[in-house]
Amino acid sequence: MKITIQVMAQPYTYQDLDSAIKIAEKALEKGHEVGIFLFCDSVLAINNLVKPVRQDRNIPKILESMIAEKGLKVDICGICMDYRGVTKDMIIEGANPSGLPELAELIYESDRFISFMA
Amino acid sequence: MALVLVKYGSDNSAEKIKLQTAKNSDSIVLIQDGIFWALNDELKNIQGNINVIKEDFLARGYSEEECKFNLLDYSEFVDLIEKEEKFIG
Amino acid sequence: MSQIDSLALWREVNFMDKKVLFVVYQAPVGAIWTNEVYRTAFGMYGEDIEPSVLIMNEASIGLSENTKPESLNLLPIKMVHRFIKKYETEVFGVEEHLEKFNVKNIDEKFGMKALKEEELSDFFHSYDLVIYM
Repeated sequence: MKITIQVMAQPYTYQDLDSAIKIAEKALEKGHEVGIFLFCDSVLAINNLVKPVRQDRNIPKILESMIAEKGLKVDICGICMDYRGVTKDMIIEGANPSGLPELAELIYESDRFISFMA
Repeated sequence: MALVLVKYGSDNSAEKIKLQTAKNSDSIVLIQDGIFWALNDELKNIQGNINVIKEDFLARGYSEEECKFNLLDYSEFVDLIEKEEKFIG
Repeated sequence: MSQIDSLALWREVNFMDKKVLFVVYQAPVGAIWTNEVYRTAFGMYGEDIEPSVLIMNEASIGLSENTKPESLNLLPIKMVHRFIKKYETEVFGVEEHLEKFNVKNIDEKFGMKALKEEELSDFFHSYDLVIYM
């Protein structure tokens, strides 16, 4: 199945990215095609300048390794990036800046679409 | 019929409507702070099959015995995602 | 035939593939979600998706002509009117919420159809996806 998970809330402040990552991990393990669409404040999750304290998880790096090693797709709302001053050079390797047309395509083509509300 | 995803507790007006409008054949999943709905009698009149994400319930200081509903790990959550074609969340 | 049944029939006749409802419940001015719910809905028209918008709870004030985020230099809501007209986007409100929040002077340019709370369950389940913002 093609499964897309949409997140809106910002990483670290809220649990949504962590939950989305866990769903994605399990779904990938089960052989599904999985993508995460980052909307509004959640776009901060692909910022490679994010620097958590040593004991904390590094969400952008987790996403980066899931993209590289497990085939996760990560798409990012471009206008949301602009509003938050996140530029293309800040994006983690393998994540794709896109926008609502991409979201529409994902909604249309996905067999399952899960969204974490704002 | 639908997977109904609830991530906030009972002080959230949207989650209240989401739960009140659920149907018998829906799979409700309480995730993150949505687990607070599983305490006491909050869900007494709610229709649907109620599931609670186990690690979110336990991480908030509760024990499995305190949960009246089905506790799910993430693998089981993905099973539900596979099963339900519609989504409300 | 109820409003919801006739809507379902219209969709079937017009071969709409995926039925998606975007829901906003937080008030405009205080939060961006009213603006975002319309922006997201309008973004769906590139694919065979017919989006609808449901305005609930405090977000109901966004349906009034009196509500002006631009009075505080925030993004206006009225900019969505021309897209609603262009795409004929269906916008729904909830009668009981319009009453509860004393919403006056509902702007006709939203073309809002009011539902009763008791209709919401069937209404939500008539969609493939209901996405709360």
